[in-house]
Amino acid sequence: MAPLVQVEDLEKRFDAVRALGHVSFEVESGEWIAIMGPSGSGKTTLINILGGLEHPTSGRVVVDGMEIGQLGERELTRYRSDKIGFVFQQFHLVPYLTALENVMLAQYFHSITDEKEAAEALRRVGLGDRQEHLPKQLSGGEQQRVAIARALINHPKLILADEPTGNLDEENEATILHLLRDLHSAGHTILVVTHSQAIGNLADRRIELEHGRLARISVPVRSGAGST
Amino acid sequence: MTPRSRSMFWRIFRQLLRASRGRLIVALIALSSGAAISSALLNINLDAEQKLTHEFRTLGANVVVAPPSSGSDAALADAAIMDHIVEPPAPQIIAAAPYLYVAANSGAQPVILAGTWFDQVAKMNSWWKVDGAWITSREDRLHCLVGQAAARQFGLAPGSQIDLRAGERSVSLTVSGIITSGGAEDSQIVTSLDIAQNLAGLPDRVSLVQLSVSGTPAEIETFTSHLATALPGLEVRPVRQLAAAEGSILARINGLILWTIMLILVLTTLGVLASMAALAMERSRDVGLMKALGGSVERIMHLFLAEAAALGVVGGTIGFAIGIVLARWIGGRVFGVAISPRWPVFPATIALAVGVALTGALPLRLLGRVRPAEILRGE
Repeated sequence: MAPLVQVEDLEKRFDAVRALGHVSFEVESGEWIAIMGPSGSGKTTLINILGGLEHPTSGRVVVDGMEIGQLGERELTRYRSDKIGFVFQQFHLVPYLTALENVMLAQYFHSITDEKEAAEALRRVGLGDRQEHLPKQLSGGEQQRVAIARALINHPKLILADEPTGNLDEENEATILHLLRDLHSAGHTILVVTHSQAIGNLADRRIELEHGRLARISVPVRSGAGST
Repeated sequence: MTPRSRSMFWRIFRQLLRASRGRLIVALIALSSGAAISSALLNINLDAEQKLTHEFRTLGANVVVAPPSSGSDAALADAAIMDHIVEPPAPQIIAAAPYLYVAANSGAQPVILAGTWFDQVAKMNSWWKVDGAWITSREDRLHCLVGQAAARQFGLAPGSQIDLRAGERSVSLTVSGIITSGGAEDSQIVTSLDIAQNLAGLPDRVSLVQLSVSGTPAEIETFTSHLATALPGLEVRPVRQLAAAEGSILARINGLILWTIMLILVLTTLGVLASMAALAMERSRDVGLMKALGGSVERIMHLFLAEAAALGVVGGTIGFAIGIVLARWIGGRVFGVAISPRWPVFPATIALAVGVALTGALPLRLLGRVRPAEILRGE
């Protein structure tokens, strides 16, 4: 079976600045990948390209059989709503919509809304009693859990999380990691950008970037495998 | 859109309105103000023609009926033509006054005597200034009105007696009032038609008939043609200078009102534009997020355009209501009569307000170009 994600010789330039260069890797369906590296190494750019928010400058990026670089604006929009579930460091909830409506918003853009399903998604992340709360009435951890419920609601092929615990305290970080672990166990494919060694150690593999280049792909020590 | 998606659309729409109510109220005030003035002016514009043509009818005759060569003394018409003019009564005739002009003398001095129907002259020339009393009866054979120049010439004042002679006939009349018209009447003596006909020995004859006819210049032309057909052998002619002046005034007022409305709409659009630009700044992050979540530009823009259209409908309705009050007030001040609301103005005001709101929503429409990656990075 073809890998879910294929990245071949990916390059991304912002004018004269090269954010990514000669990056190649593959991700199998159901894998949990941690993308690590220092600030400015190109992690978020990579996630944005995989999520269809940026076009690659050159190289091939294929997700679930769709080559990102070949997609027009409309197709990219469809790609994002069909295949991708985003979780951002800043949560990025719509401030004037309730938790339930934020989840339903993703349904609305994808196809049709189903309030019961959205409520169930919130219950799964432990927010069954917070559905009618606005983001400002929720803690950071709760907002991130709403974002995770929103990311999952359309059953995406790929969950892209950019520093999902970066703005959370230890307790909330543990809750989010627990959720990610559950998602992984349920067979979801997850790519997480993180600085956290703890999250990196939970992943199946770690992709490390340095100065926009792929430095190494490694399997965390707990698995007993070495670097490739 | 499925019913469930429609329901979500309105759900987001309501939350969007609630979240942005401060800025939207500012835009609504701008829209309502613009719509109110536009609606008032449209109401006035539709009513102005009727009101002004009515006003013009107090400024003297605008149609004259006379024998073909009215310049000659011999050219006189039969007084029976009045029956053809006023029977059956035509609603557009405000007043109809026959005139017989007689060259008479008071003592050794010549004077023109104009015999007419006082009641009709009063209706037609309400702007004449009368020092003394107006003569109300058409049949009055004892009194006369004297033009202010003639009164000066003969040393007359209200209550004075004046003896008039034409050939072998004479009559003695009491001056009821001194008139100032600014026209030929200032040097004439105005009597009842009977007196003039008796003095001249021309019973049942008139020199001409003056008519005050309501309507637009085109309507007056039509009326004149019909009357000419009914009165063969007589000239029926509009007082062209007056008709042209009235037409020109109406056209200018019309143009002035329409240009003012356009100017107000432009200013209103600028006001709405300013509010919407601030709103667009606030919403750029939300739009970036919606696009990142797979929201198509069309779906997101439907929300904003629906919001602008709703603003236009509400602003237009409020504006129309205020516009009615404003039009009544302006009508009362300018024409002395309240202007009644014209219902076709309502959809026109709504359409204008919605058009302004959608044009003013340009900054929101430009949000469709937002690149989500840049917005989510906080650029």
